[in-house]
Amino acid sequence: MATFEYSDSQFPIRDDIKLAYREYWQTLASPGSWWSGEQRIAIAREVRNAGTCKYCIQRKPALSPYNFEGEHDRSTSLPAQAVDAIHRIITDQTRITRNWIEKNDSQGLSKECYVELAGITVNVFSIDEFNRALGLELEPLPEAQPGEPSHYRPKHLSEDIGFVPTIPLEGAVEAEADLWSDRTANVLRAFTLVPDALRDWIKISNAQYLSIEAMGSMFKQEGRSIDRMQIELVAGRVSAINQCFY
Amino acid sequence: MLRASAMTNETEIDIQGINGDGEAAATGIKFGEELMSFAEALAAGESAPLSSSRDALLAKAGAEVLVDASGVAANFQRMVRIADSIGIPVDNMETELGQQIRKELGISSFASAKNTLA
Repeated sequence: MATFEYSDSQFPIRDDIKLAYREYWQTLASPGSWWSGEQRIAIAREVRNAGTCKYCIQRKPALSPYNFEGEHDRSTSLPAQAVDAIHRIITDQTRITRNWIEKNDSQGLSKECYVELAGITVNVFSIDEFNRALGLELEPLPEAQPGEPSHYRPKHLSEDIGFVPTIPLEGAVEAEADLWSDRTANVLRAFTLVPDALRDWIKISNAQYLSIEAMGSMFKQEGRSIDRMQIELVAGRVSAINQCFY
Repeated sequence: MLRASAMTNETEIDIQGINGDGEAAATGIKFGEELMSFAEALAAGESAPLSSSRDALLAKAGAEVLVDASGVAANFQRMVRIADSIGIPVDNMETELGQQIRKELGISSFASAKNTLA
């Protein structure tokens, strides 16, 4: 079935955006590194549920979000730690802590599972946010594909940044040689415990924002109707509203 | 990146547009106030302001600008969550430009600053 046709849209949505979203929907439905296709679709469904979760709404202003009793409005049978992780990433991401990730790791949501879950969560959220920005209906989620997760874990990892192991600059070799060449950034390294999670967001970012190569140029890019200053004003305001220090 | 792009393009801008000042957003940036309001409405998650800011941007700048701005805003709804879900620190806190911008925007009080400053 064709996806992201945008036949109901009055707006001229670029073909590269449609293509990136279609490709991601196929990836989303397939087994990943640590979650099955069915589980990945369930994560996506929970992303769509998080925004209206009454518990999240009540917890958001709480001074101690890790001691706030209650239960999420859930739409799936995913483990409780996974549901909580998805909802926190959508509704209260600035207060995520190392302790919480370590505690989840000891209670069944491994760091590998968490990183893949986070990757799915943010990708589905950003595609949905694009539709919401334009006042369009959300794309129906795809049918899960059969198969088992690969359980792939990169060989070269370090624990020098963030709450989870990541591939260091010099670790993008062998199967990870495509991730970057001689330079990287912490935001690129963030999801590299599950390298496909980085590959997935880069493909979407190429269409929604700019390619990694184009980020180095401060001039207007071919195929874009807004220049770099306009792009960065939008980016900066979204980041400020989300209270993102990075 | 806003300051860097303005310097490259030799354009005078006012960085306070990022903090929601409409007049500042319009300084040196075409459709700046409408773009800023649209980005703000999407990130704030309220449907009524989003609808009105979408209409305003469409009327002033056209459909292609609206689509491209939607892509950028949606992208950064993701990027902030990548950074905060993994707790990554700012790559380089030592650059003079970065220090100046953080001071001007007053962002050191953000909760996620702990991932860099702690």
